[in-house]
Amino acid sequence: MTEVVATNHTILVVGAGISGITAAVEAAETGNNVVLVEKRPYLGGRVSQLYKYFPKLCFPSCGLEINQRRLSAQGGISILTMAEVTAVSGSEGNYSATVKISPRFVNENCTACGACGDVVEAEFDNEHNYGLNKRKGAYLPYNMAKPQRYVIDPRIIGTDDAEKAKAACKYAAIDLDMQEQTIEFKAGAIIWATGWQPYDANKIQPYGYDRYANVITSVEFERMMDKFGPTGGKILRPSDNAEAKDIAFIQCAGSRDRNHLKHCSRICCMATLKQSTYITEQYGVDDADAKGTIYYIDIRSIDRFEDFYRKVQNDPKISFIRSKVANIVQDKDQNPILNGVDTEGYHRYENRHDLVVLAIGMEPSVNKDSFPLEIVINEHGFIEADEANGGIFAAGCASDALDVNRAVQTATAAALRAVQVVNRVAGSEG
Amino acid sequence: MSLNNAMLEKYRNNFLQEVAGNVEQGDWVKMCMQCGVCAGSCPLGDAWEHSPQKIFMMIRANRREQVLSSDSMWMCTSCYHCVVRCPRGLPIPHIMHGLASYAKRLGLAPKSNPTLWFAEVFWNNMLKKGRVNELKLGLSLYFKDGFASGIKQAMAHQKLGINMLKAKRMAPMDMFAGHAIKDIFGLHKMIRKAQEIEAAKLEANSK
Amino acid sequence: MPDYDKKLGAYLCSGCGIGDRLNVSQMETTAKRDGKAAIVKTHEFLCSKAGVEMIRKDIDAGDVNHVIIGACSHRSKVEAFRFDRAAISRANLREGCIWIRPYTDEAQQTTQEMGDDLIRMACAESRYINIPEPSGEQELNKTLLVVGGGMTGMTTALESAKAGYRVELVEKAAALGGWMAQLHKCIPHRMPYANPVATNIDATIAAVNAHANITLHLSASVAKTEGAPGRFKIEIATEYGTSTTVEVGAIVQASGYNMFDPNNVPAMNHAKSADIVTNMELEALAKAAGDGPIKRPSDGREVSSVIFVQNVGQASEAKGHLPYHSGIGDLIAIKQALYFKTQNRGCETTILFNHLRTPGAAGEDFYCSGQNYEVTFRKGIASEVFPGSSLEVQFRDMILDEDTSQTADLVVLDVGMVPNSGPDPYALPLVADKEKGAAPVFEVTLDSILNLEYRQGTDLPHLKHGFTDSHFICFPYETRRSGIYAAGPVRRPMDIHQAMEDATGAAMKAIQALENAGKGRSAHPRSGDLSYPLFRKEGCTRCKRCTVECPFAAIDEDEKGYPQFNESRCRRCGICMGACPVRVISFDNYSVDSIGQQIKNVDMPDEFDEKPRILVLACENDAYPALDMAAQNGIEYSPFARVIPVRCLGSVNTVWITDALNSGYDGIILMGCSKGDDYQCHFVKGSEMAYQRMSQIADTLQILSLDAERVVTYEVAITDIHRAPRLINAMAETIEKIGMSPFKF
Repeated sequence: MTEVVATNHTILVVGAGISGITAAVEAAETGNNVVLVEKRPYLGGRVSQLYKYFPKLCFPSCGLEINQRRLSAQGGISILTMAEVTAVSGSEGNYSATVKISPRFVNENCTACGACGDVVEAEFDNEHNYGLNKRKGAYLPYNMAKPQRYVIDPRIIGTDDAEKAKAACKYAAIDLDMQEQTIEFKAGAIIWATGWQPYDANKIQPYGYDRYANVITSVEFERMMDKFGPTGGKILRPSDNAEAKDIAFIQCAGSRDRNHLKHCSRICCMATLKQSTYITEQYGVDDADAKGTIYYIDIRSIDRFEDFYRKVQNDPKISFIRSKVANIVQDKDQNPILNGVDTEGYHRYENRHDLVVLAIGMEPSVNKDSFPLEIVINEHGFIEADEANGGIFAAGCASDALDVNRAVQTATAAALRAVQVVNRVAGSEG
Repeated sequence: MSLNNAMLEKYRNNFLQEVAGNVEQGDWVKMCMQCGVCAGSCPLGDAWEHSPQKIFMMIRANRREQVLSSDSMWMCTSCYHCVVRCPRGLPIPHIMHGLASYAKRLGLAPKSNPTLWFAEVFWNNMLKKGRVNELKLGLSLYFKDGFASGIKQAMAHQKLGINMLKAKRMAPMDMFAGHAIKDIFGLHKMIRKAQEIEAAKLEANSK
Repeated sequence: MPDYDKKLGAYLCSGCGIGDRLNVSQMETTAKRDGKAAIVKTHEFLCSKAGVEMIRKDIDAGDVNHVIIGACSHRSKVEAFRFDRAAISRANLREGCIWIRPYTDEAQQTTQEMGDDLIRMACAESRYINIPEPSGEQELNKTLLVVGGGMTGMTTALESAKAGYRVELVEKAAALGGWMAQLHKCIPHRMPYANPVATNIDATIAAVNAHANITLHLSASVAKTEGAPGRFKIEIATEYGTSTTVEVGAIVQASGYNMFDPNNVPAMNHAKSADIVTNMELEALAKAAGDGPIKRPSDGREVSSVIFVQNVGQASEAKGHLPYHSGIGDLIAIKQALYFKTQNRGCETTILFNHLRTPGAAGEDFYCSGQNYEVTFRKGIASEVFPGSSLEVQFRDMILDEDTSQTADLVVLDVGMVPNSGPDPYALPLVADKEKGAAPVFEVTLDSILNLEYRQGTDLPHLKHGFTDSHFICFPYETRRSGIYAAGPVRRPMDIHQAMEDATGAAMKAIQALENAGKGRSAHPRSGDLSYPLFRKEGCTRCKRCTVECPFAAIDEDEKGYPQFNESRCRRCGICMGACPVRVISFDNYSVDSIGQQIKNVDMPDEFDEKPRILVLACENDAYPALDMAAQNGIEYSPFARVIPVRCLGSVNTVWITDALNSGYDGIILMGCSKGDDYQCHFVKGSEMAYQRMSQIADTLQILSLDAERVVTYEVAITDIHRAPRLINAMAETIEKIGMSPFKF
């Protein structure tokens, strides 16, 4: 049975993406007791699925390594994975949270030796790679997964595979009888850092994500660049696994659109500018076939990111067309063909590309219809700071469409707001 | 003072407001974000001089003459591709028709535009009996550009005509009178009243 | 330095295949005989409860205080092997040995040699480290200094005060409020994002004034800052010549920004007409008008048409322009257009923009609101504004694809923010240029804000364009000066809402800094490290390398020129240790010896054994994890490599290299993070420093008549999981080509 030591001096952080991790370590390194709850079997959230960050083009796993080390170095943080907050009651300074923990079927004995993964045969869509490839029914989600513990997919429970996995483990780490459990504990303040999800590209009917193999989303493109990703680090067309060299990026795919997400997702412009550099990284400057075309309405490269925009503008491989693409069709070779009008002077185009990347919008993961407590959520689905929220504070993309830098900023701010509450509780107790 | 001059006088430099105040759904024009998805989605796009999005920009840039005398909005076939894709939900075909209609009232619509011509013939045809006399409508289309070309056009569609006769989709006797609806005078009264109301509104708007 | 008897206990794990692949009893002997471990035990599953309990019992019994874990990587099972009051060393037998070697009979011997060496190395490290303890120098001071009384500074003060900390708030002007106090209204940051909202600045000022935890210093500036986190001593001087000294634990700099001078863009003719105003000047006109019609400055006539020219001198490489963008100019223009529209719907308002930058949920809704009010948005780039009773703006309309012009009663120029950051300690050439009379790229105030009495300059280093932002995406509050945080537009252009978030975050970091300074704990990235630089003064030659090269300016010089360490400014990277030519700097848990002895304790086969030894010094945050993950994926590398994680490549002292060469290593590889403008080194300059120092190693190699290829330095990222092993194998091949080192004994 999982146990958590928590009091009304404890800060509960919901979601262990970059925002939740930040809020947790900043609060803990200031001497506070934290419980960090994550729905996935591992920490890191969407950041763990990114290849590079803009504008430095550095690797998110680098900062994640530091942050994960900071989490381990702190005695004051309890981490619950595969866990979801199902109910919260009480008020500022005195909450009670109910957390449902799904069975991992692997206990802390696991040494991540991989023996179970070797013997299991069943395969399932790999969530970490947005289903672009398969993983085993006993798996380590990815190289840096924290905790470094395998997961048994519940779909193999009751099959021979499960028994094989159990037999292969030398450390009695596999417990096939593990049950879902529900625990309840106290918290003085709660930081809600449940992040975002990519907007469902199937809903953008004219772009044919549901029909055309060679139309993918920006988050999937990001996975392709990972050498341990679904394509081994190559940019391949899903239709024929051929190298994709002529790549189109469609901005505002699902954002700034009343039919989809009304808000601007803020990050997509910079994300696409970043991804356009992957083309040269992959094929070098001399490959004349390698090129990128960015279809945009406004390039929102805010403040000092302007340098980066200029750098991409000066790249002869990358061209910009001011246009919201009207629709995509495909030719007999499954090449996507983009139709639309360049609005700077009204020029029609019908452009063939190898691959289309939809700069997919950012949808908050806040469940506005069933939030466990009364809280102010705006029409876009983001939590608004409000006194009525009591001791619940949003961090990161639960509060707005934000890039990593700003998400971390808000998470650090949320940590202080939570610290204020628990310090007040401590003060009133004398 | 002509209606056009009155409107010019009233709105001076602000065509956007003139459109908002006088064109069906014209109030939406200000909301366009110039993404161009309408232009790219229009199946008749190649035939337009100005795309909807560009017309909206021209309206905001006070290109009144250019907009109202344009034949672009007469091209709209109401296929609604643009509406379903417009990220701001602008009722683009309605605005296009509204602009066309407004241009016509002000007397600025392009004189030889076939859509305009057809719309007038259709309207007049319909008004007579309260329903469209297809035979007469067809014939007037054939003879639009004179007798000789009319005969030629009619001959070209001979087979279709005969088939329609056989299938009773065309009544030759309509050439002479045609069916009217039950209360044709009532309809005429209604239309007159509607026209009065609209004219009064425009008149009032122009002050 | 702590004074105790070291009792070494080596605990070997035979699980995860270690027992199958390696002769554990031989390693036990190695630990005992070579490693000098008093207690040596093996467990078949060391990280299990029983295994950990076995170790804990020995510690609790007082039999062991230095623990050597011979099991998995330093990065694995960290929580299981965390023991208080014990020094921990790890021999990476799993990821660092058996997982990177084939399971074959031929490989058996070299793999075993690797395992034995790893045990020797871990034991050597253990013998040469100490359990770190706070120095006793640390102080807890629960007061913050906040520099700047604008919205950012006031928010920092209020939020800190709310958490129970005291604040000394210093503001240059005679009143609080900053630019915010000059605004008519604000951009809305709550739903509905429709109309400009009241600033409520008076309420904020009143709250600051009323808070018992906040002490105000108006018409004042920081004349001097001495000390370190936990014990800063600040001299605050007022305009009236008085001065006070306060002691604080941490500092937040919220010194804000100045407006860009539009006269740097002569075509805008700002100086030629009173009716061509900047966005900030318009705020004053709007404020003066109250809720009545805005009048134009030249003749007091009510404005009936206005054009907003966006991006004046911004995002431009032209001389005198700002190379960046304020990012909020378009939102400001919409807000200001609504000043006119809400007052007089008929007022013609046009915004000439290039890319409309209204990001986020708030931005897009506010843009729609502007459109709803019939503000005309034209994608147009203005080339010139002509003064006159009716102003004419010439521009290119990008949609209609033509050059055109439009007239208006008033023209508003969107000018950007210039950070008020003080001089960059590392950009002295700019000052020199100014003295030579050359025009700087743009005017940055050269008045110091903090007047730090630091060896490395008076103010926070700039990142770019004068902003003091963090270089790190994941760590936006890193400033390179421990315990001093920048907040608000001084670190990056931002709007009020973001500045208030930033202020709250900066307050959190400052509070954390002073709390940890009180406990002697290091700040990020080695959070919680209790060690600190120890310095043997007798050996010091006063070469000043440590004081110059410390990326965090932690080290000053005393009057005699000896380094003066300020432990709470120190991030424990060890760059000073790497810099010291006479090796007088060390840490309890990391020293020239703790690494040097690992190098020396590797068993060196003789020349004819054909078993070269390759020393790999790998950055513990990037290269080392990359090698770990290579192992995890079954990627093999040479059994001749001996990998030692280092805190930063900058901590590598060249003596390790020369000693290694002298003791017969055949090749040496240094793996650090990327350097240059987009550096990924967590200690800023460490990697670059290592490259510099290694370039000088070439001379040593020459003296020893060794081939230059024997020592190489690489930039290795954490994602170089395939490449890092390849680099090791390449060195093995090189050695095969050029032969073994002649320095074997």
